Amino acid sequence: MTWEVSVPLQFGTALRDNSTDAELLERCKRGELQAFERLYTLHAARMKSLAFHLLGSRDDAEDAVQETFLKVYRGIERFESNSAVSTWMLRILINCCYDILRKRQRLAEKPMPKEVPAHTKLTLKVALERALLTLNEQHRLVFLMFEAEGMKHSEIASVLEVPEGTSRAWLFEAKRALKQVLTQRSQAHEI
Amino acid sequence: MKFECGDLDRALANPDLMTEAREHLRHCATCRNEYRVWNEISTTAKQLHQEWDSPDLWLRIERGIGQEPPRKRPRPQWHAWMFVAAAAVVTAIAFLSWPQLTHVKPPTKSAGQTTASERDFLTEQALRNVEKNEAAYRHSIEELSNLAQPELGSQTAPPIVASYREKLLMLDSAIEETRSIVAQNRFNVRLQRELADLYRDKQQTLEEIVASGQRR
Repeated sequence: MTWEVSVPLQFGTALRDNSTDAELLERCKRGELQAFERLYTLHAARMKSLAFHLLGSRDDAEDAVQETFLKVYRGIERFESNSAVSTWMLRILINCCYDILRKRQRLAEKPMPKEVPAHTKLTLKVALERALLTLNEQHRLVFLMFEAEGMKHSEIASVLEVPEGTSRAWLFEAKRALKQVLTQRSQAHEI
Repeated sequence: MKFECGDLDRALANPDLMTEAREHLRHCATCRNEYRVWNEISTTAKQLHQEWDSPDLWLRIERGIGQEPPRKRPRPQWHAWMFVAAAAVVTAIAFLSWPQLTHVKPPTKSAGQTTASERDFLTEQALRNVEKNEAAYRHSIEELSNLAQPELGSQTAPPIVASYREKLLMLDSAIEETRSIVAQNRFNVRLQRELADLYRDKQQTLEEIVASGQRR
């Protein structure tokens, strides 16, 4: 398995060093802590970023990544290499994030984002972050994985266990919805 | 086809329509703005990737892993398959063999006409079948016994395995004793049935031991 990423540079550089994924997996299955640390070095940055977008807080994102690695440790012996280990880890991560969100809902915590005062002139980035919250989960996930994390549709499809065409369609739907929200905003605020 | 504002989304999904779309964009400020936003979404999204240092995150994970219960030594997969196969063979033999012992056919004659020798003793042919099947049954139980050995010899086995061990010793001793008696009275149905019951008891005990090992 080779990640083909265009951004970010630092993460992309790290990923080019994983030519021995199968070997790493075998070492993890033997319970070698160093192998897990290597997995962490390779994948934690993307995992943290994705978790941050789902949870809206760095602390929660780190908790989700921690929980994911513990689940990976517990389950790696049963992991069969039908998909890449990174794909499997992202799938676990997304489930961990949903668990945290559900827990949050039970505790009736305020959901994510730090509200930006209405009079503030928004940068496009902030506007995009806010607009993302209007999307449904699947569209948002595909958008973040493709556009923000530089994943390919084949990888996204594998993580979400949907056909590649569905991943493409969801990305288009996500961008269309974002375009609509941002166009209205640009007309109102002249971004 | 005349390209209209409502067609922009279709053009964004279908590159074949982009030539006409570009022509339309030259004259339509609204669509031009939409198209600009469309392109900026992807550019801006790249900035959404978040990177920050988490100097203690790996340490937390490492600590978490350290608190996990020790990993069980992975059991070879053939163990489970062998157990299933052996149990199937033993069960099949138990049900199919020794029909004379487990399913004694009701006498075709009326009870009054059945002689004591017909009820209590095997015929030559029946005895040959019984002895043949007993050998196969014993062989299957030995295989099952081999599968149970790791659990019986394990230092970490639960206390109940010690009881199983004692029970097996008693059963083996009883089997040997009964076999020596049967050897002197091979046609006796009652003795053969007792021997079959002992084998069945041993089979069940071994199956419980192997299952106990599988659960752990």
